[in-house]
Amino acid sequence: MSIYVCVKHVPDSAATITIRDGRQIDETITFLLNPYDENAVEAAVRQKAQETDTEVVAVTLGKAGAENTLRSALAMGADRGLHILTAERQDSMVTARALAAAIRQDGVADIIFTGKAAIDSEGWETQYRLAAVLDLPVVSNVTELSREGQALTVVWEGDAGALQTLKVPLPCVIGASKALNRPRYPTLPDIIKARKKKIRTVDLAALDLGRPAGVLELLDLQPAVENRRAKILAGSPEVAVDELVRLLREEAKVI
Amino acid sequence: MAEKYDAIIIGAGVIGAPIAYELAKQGYKTLTVDKLSDAGLGSTAASCAIIRAHYSTEDGVAFAYEGFHYWMDWENYLGRVKDEKGLAKFMQTGSILLKSQGHDWRKVQKHYDAVGVQYEEWDLDQIKAAAPVYELDEFWPVRRPEDPSFFDDPAKKLEGALFCPEGGYMSDPALSAHNIMRAAEVHGAKFMFNAEVVDVRAADGRVAGITLKDGTQIDAPVVVNVAGPHSYKINQMAPGVWEGCNIKTKALRHEVMHCPSPEDYDYYNKGYHTSDGDIGCYYRPELGNQFLIGSEDPDCDPQEWVDPDEFYAGQGGTGRDNQLTEAQWKAQCYRLARRVPSLPIPNQPRGVVDLYDCSDDWIPIYDKSDLPGFYMAIGSSGNQYKNAPVAGAMMAQLIDACEKGLDHDAQPLQFKMKYLKRSLDMGFFSRKREINTDSSFSVNG
Repeated sequence: MSIYVCVKHVPDSAATITIRDGRQIDETITFLLNPYDENAVEAAVRQKAQETDTEVVAVTLGKAGAENTLRSALAMGADRGLHILTAERQDSMVTARALAAAIRQDGVADIIFTGKAAIDSEGWETQYRLAAVLDLPVVSNVTELSREGQALTVVWEGDAGALQTLKVPLPCVIGASKALNRPRYPTLPDIIKARKKKIRTVDLAALDLGRPAGVLELLDLQPAVENRRAKILAGSPEVAVDELVRLLREEAKVI
Repeated sequence: MAEKYDAIIIGAGVIGAPIAYELAKQGYKTLTVDKLSDAGLGSTAASCAIIRAHYSTEDGVAFAYEGFHYWMDWENYLGRVKDEKGLAKFMQTGSILLKSQGHDWRKVQKHYDAVGVQYEEWDLDQIKAAAPVYELDEFWPVRRPEDPSFFDDPAKKLEGALFCPEGGYMSDPALSAHNIMRAAEVHGAKFMFNAEVVDVRAADGRVAGITLKDGTQIDAPVVVNVAGPHSYKINQMAPGVWEGCNIKTKALRHEVMHCPSPEDYDYYNKGYHTSDGDIGCYYRPELGNQFLIGSEDPDCDPQEWVDPDEFYAGQGGTGRDNQLTEAQWKAQCYRLARRVPSLPIPNQPRGVVDLYDCSDDWIPIYDKSDLPGFYMAIGSSGNQYKNAPVAGAMMAQLIDACEKGLDHDAQPLQFKMKYLKRSLDMGFFSRKREINTDSSFSVNG
């Protein structure tokens, strides 16, 4: 079986993001494997463990530094890497086309895993676009998964926590949620092994994607200001509770 | 009219609080001021709070071992005070000092014998029985993972270890400072928070008091600088003090990493604090069954001296200073992973970044100053947490003796240790000393 895992090199969620020129973030911060993609890699590696002759290929579209993210996926158990090199930030339309073209060029996928979203752009759409380009079925936000022959039985979480069970024929695209598994942490021997695994690099321009119908243009980037202020309600418990109820009703408008 | 106290202590960290406590017990009317909102929230909070006895000098060992008695008897030391936040707890894991080329352990052993520190000599089988996840190969010298030879196969085994069963760490360093504050308050000590000192005033040839950022002036004939990473800034505010120090202090950026324990190993309950000079790390259990990995500052690691105000302005704000450095994350985790190959290393770095207040020779300055009435307990980060209660007692003795006329520069105070009954020549900690070449120039002190 041949499994592809699409991964993204994203800023560490603990990083302090600084915006430069209103268009881009300061990239001198730590970047790492998108956390949802860790679930995707884990799912792929677990599939591999169940079946001999399975290869897991980690694919990314990113700048030169994205190789570190591929190495992280390799340390978690992926067999080799495929790096589509670009000097620019790309939107999900280009990303999906690039991933599809690179995977097609590389082999025949039985399952393509992605994370349900990337924590930087939070678009939640690349997996659907990828499936559309490849003309494959897609299920995202998957919380459970098992394989029987040429189909997967998956549980995915829809609105308001509703769980739905589906049977999906292979090949297909699966978007992993946090609930799907607990990603393993690599050990130093895993990391050392990953240093020796192969990463093939292809240039985005060489994939000859053609022009997508639409283009996302970034006009302005502003930090989201979080104004969370703790408020201590004084007085006896009775008074404080009354005040809390009033605040929840009148200010927060949640009850 | 300005408020008046017998002594003002600048800094309510784990060294400042016990100075206030001991002075208050002697009848001094003290005021401790701190720029932050509660006791122990500065660099104390980020301390690894290790309680160990190995130091590179005999006096260092004695000083630390004296401290054990305070931590082991924490409730009584605090006068059985109640703290609404609860009491910090001494986690007595025992302390393993691996015999390696990274530590002069023969010297440490000699000092242990001289001071009477309880210890056992362990061979490799005993270490392995106690800590089965450790691989006991020699990896010396300490390298960085960027160096290809970092990954070389080891050729030799370590020699063994000195095991000190009384060692360990305190569960919550900030809480320990808070506990001491509550104990001090019983004796009338006052604490003032959100109070940043902007000037140390002098009059008639001696210290007269402090001025706060909001303009408040507070007078006292005694002012003690225990400002941690800000210590050099406070010294510069006091006329002639900074210039009168032969040994200076600076703020050093420092990172501590948290890695989960191997899944089938209960490091939190069964693990030991370990000093591992062979890989330039020390480690101890941390909540959540994690390894807390500190650095012993090997020569190959970069040192980043920073302005504390700029650093703390970045904490949680727009600076980079609240983030671990990726390269250092790898350095410290990979080093420990050579000792513990089953150590899981998360892709996302996590840990603590804070500042050390370091002196030129990594030995603190516990001293008077060239300005009468102005004292300092500084340069203490990295290796003095464990000594805090003893340092408090010693500084209180020094201040009282000097205020009663002792010429400490000419005839240094001989501090009497309450438990070990040894006396310690405080000249060892003098601001006027030459750089002590016996020092390890690291957290090992």
